[in-house]
Amino acid sequence: MSSKKLKSCKMRITLTSLLVDDQEKALKFYTEVLGFVKKTEIPLGEHKWLTVVAKEEQDGVELVLEPIAFEPAKVYQQELFKAGIPLTAFNVDSVDKEYERLASMGVIFSMKPTEMGPTKLAVFSDTCGNNIQIFQLL
Amino acid sequence: MLSAELYANIYLVKRVIQAKYFIDKNFDQAIDLDTICKEACISKFHLIRSFKKLYGVTPYQHLTFLRIKKAKELLQTNLTVSAVCYHLGFDSPTSFSGLFKKIAGKPPVEFQRSKTKKQF
Repeated sequence: MSSKKLKSCKMRITLTSLLVDDQEKALKFYTEVLGFVKKTEIPLGEHKWLTVVAKEEQDGVELVLEPIAFEPAKVYQQELFKAGIPLTAFNVDSVDKEYERLASMGVIFSMKPTEMGPTKLAVFSDTCGNNIQIFQLL
Repeated sequence: MLSAELYANIYLVKRVIQAKYFIDKNFDQAIDLDTICKEACISKFHLIRSFKKLYGVTPYQHLTFLRIKKAKELLQTNLTVSAVCYHLGFDSPTSFSGLFKKIAGKPPVEFQRSKTKKQF
């Protein structure tokens, strides 16, 4: 192997994905309840390529609502959910306000707004098999 | 720009929830702080500090609370104090009795006696 260092190309993070048990239900929840905006929807047979973005950053990172079509992944998702462990976290301006807003829409929280050092956080169910954490810097 | 401490907290929350889940499922086994830390992949320092911030009690206090709560249930059956003690993963009847008295206000024998009396 040559020791000559090659110049790296630009590598960016433009997508991140979340496994969901029902894409339609997920789209409804992530747009109508959480407030994200649908970016792409491409039918691919049984499932589709489905992404949402933050309303204020529509050219930002896309969240892929990926169908959970792999059995071992289902086990992983179920166990995480059962334990109450959040799969991912979203940054919000105010955890308290989001908690109030989401709870009024029927979202179920497994952890109410809680301060932890320099952060405040809460955890809710996305109704598609995942626990999601929201956090803010105090 | 979010701080490093904030990012660390997002990770720590997952590990602390995992630790609590492990305690909740295994409190009746002979588990200790080392086992819990190993299971949740977190250091003792971070676990104790973050657990207390998140749940208001230390992992050990939570574990003890669950054990004593279960002990109260078991003491109302035909089991002896020693049997309950070992069933719940305590090291010795002495430490069990001490902790029980501290939390329940009376020694396990007395608690059992008072509950048995009430049944008749």
